[in-house]
Amino acid sequence: MTKRLKGITTKTDRQLHSSTRLIKYYWQRTKRNKLAVFGLAFLAFLVLLAIIGPFFTLDPTAVNFEEKNIPPVGFTTEQSFYNIETDEFTTTKVSGTWKHPLGTDSKGRDMLAMIASGARVSLLVGLIATGIAIILGTIIGVLSAYLGGWVDNALMRFTDVIMTFPFFLLLVLIVFIFGPSLAIIVLAIGLTGWTGTARLLRSEALSLRTREFVTAAKAMGASDNRVIFRHLIPNIISLIIIIATLAIPGVILAEAALSFIGLGDPTVPSWGIILEAGQHSLRTAWWVAVEPGIMLFLTVLAFNFLGDGLRDAFDPKSNI
Amino acid sequence: MGKSWLRDYVIKRLIYSVIIAWGILTITFILVRVGPTSPADRYLANIAAGGHDVTQVIATIEARYGLDKPIYEQYIDYMGNLFQGNWGWSFSTSMPVIELIKTHWIYSFQLILLSSLFAAFLGILIGIYSAVKQYTKTDYAFTFLSFIGISIPNFWLGVMLILVFSVQLGIFKTYYDTTLPLFSIDNLKALVLPVITLGTGMLAGYVRYTRSAMLDNLRKAFVTTARAKGLPERAVIGKHVFRNALLPLVTIIMFDLGSIVFGGAYLTEIIFGIPGLGQISFNAIFANDYPVVIAVTLIGTFMVLLVNLITDITYTYLDPRIRYD
Repeated sequence: MTKRLKGITTKTDRQLHSSTRLIKYYWQRTKRNKLAVFGLAFLAFLVLLAIIGPFFTLDPTAVNFEEKNIPPVGFTTEQSFYNIETDEFTTTKVSGTWKHPLGTDSKGRDMLAMIASGARVSLLVGLIATGIAIILGTIIGVLSAYLGGWVDNALMRFTDVIMTFPFFLLLVLIVFIFGPSLAIIVLAIGLTGWTGTARLLRSEALSLRTREFVTAAKAMGASDNRVIFRHLIPNIISLIIIIATLAIPGVILAEAALSFIGLGDPTVPSWGIILEAGQHSLRTAWWVAVEPGIMLFLTVLAFNFLGDGLRDAFDPKSNI
Repeated sequence: MGKSWLRDYVIKRLIYSVIIAWGILTITFILVRVGPTSPADRYLANIAAGGHDVTQVIATIEARYGLDKPIYEQYIDYMGNLFQGNWGWSFSTSMPVIELIKTHWIYSFQLILLSSLFAAFLGILIGIYSAVKQYTKTDYAFTFLSFIGISIPNFWLGVMLILVFSVQLGIFKTYYDTTLPLFSIDNLKALVLPVITLGTGMLAGYVRYTRSAMLDNLRKAFVTTARAKGLPERAVIGKHVFRNALLPLVTIIMFDLGSIVFGGAYLTEIIFGIPGLGQISFNAIFANDYPVVIAVTLIGTFMVLLVNLITDITYTYLDPRIRYD
């Protein structure tokens, strides 16, 4: 390890944070963690499913009552049908077919298609909302640390106020007031989820601010902008990446939970909305509730594994 | 002299809490005022159906709610009302919001209390065990399981528990029975699945926190000293390591209340039909019953504020080394 590190630190002609060799080094360290690799592989699969999946699957909104409640391939359930002519209930066995590999819901919509389009929603919300939150948190945290004084005080008290709100309850209130659309949900999560990042980065930037290279840059006449963007932020970028990776699952879960309680965008089939519908048909079609939940669970698990692996690789001593 | 800085500190914390409370109320006020819907919107369909002049009726309703006053007067009214315990009128249940909360808070309280106890007790035990047996197979197994516990969406876990234990096996009822007396065995049985639903995520978190807090202390010099004195291992772990690991743990457990527990309790109540504050907020959302949704968020937030204050103050009693100057 020391040999590799030596090669990097002495021979770089570029800035350290953008050196391809350093990235390679981090990748090698991350790769050693099997769970992190599993996480990355699952996320790659999920991105593929979200981007190209919907082109191959059936229409996720196509309702077909002739084919409702079909179980996934390999499963058989009993269903009762009401015959209007004989006024009797007949029970028949229904087996899964390859036309609907993951079965259909109570309205005959294809589960695979719904899962694929749900992946789109979850990833989009997860990435965009986390992006907003991280950018906001970085700006507030770094500004607070760098400017100090009353700006720091005011910004940190504001952070305290937002932090005191239980995250989910604040989201419920905002989405309730402004109406459930995907844009509002993403904005609400992004605009409320930055507090942890801001605090962490503030303390990190505070300790960096007094280091020699910052003093040296200032002594050479660097402007505030230059110090912040060329010296402070590049040095906390690895921390930002870790925070982002570990924040995404919380965001995805928040969107799913909002959808689950009926505050999701009704025009977009997200995993939370499917799960909510599935909760009411547990007796007739258990798979409708099981499948989106497994996807949610695996997605969150994958991000957690990856985030943990990245943290160990970048900064083995930290305990975020 | 020793006591006076403590009193100053408590006063300082109280003032700080009041400032934060003011911030919370102000942000809520701004959110509601900036929001696109007004209380009058709820009546629009009825007004139009009744053939009345819509604009005139809206003006009447807005006057009734004080919405025609200048914004600063509305702000003062809003603050004044909240402090006098006038939290508005819930039209979907036809009672004052404060009464509604008085009848329902106990259900949320029992769920949160039982889940926290369950999670803290089991989580701390497993965490200690894992730390003492670091790098053994059991430690790896618990670490892996805690990853799963953290990642499992608690509302999905609730639905799965209902599917397996209520629908398939029929051991528990699918819905919480509200007719049961609060302090009874039947009521405890009815709360088993909800407590597991809400507690699992917390439990997994506590296992991880306890493990790392224990490991931090296990390597310290005073532990070696304790062992060198010939203390039995049980005393070393229990008296020396655990007591030192406990303080950071308490903070984390208290902090969880805001970030995880209230949101989780909200969802758990909805899944199992427990008539707590989450459930009344959920019902109010569909009835467009503004004051109830706002009140539940505010109560959750103030509980967090209160718990933070209590934690900070007890902390200074528990650990005299801590001085906030």
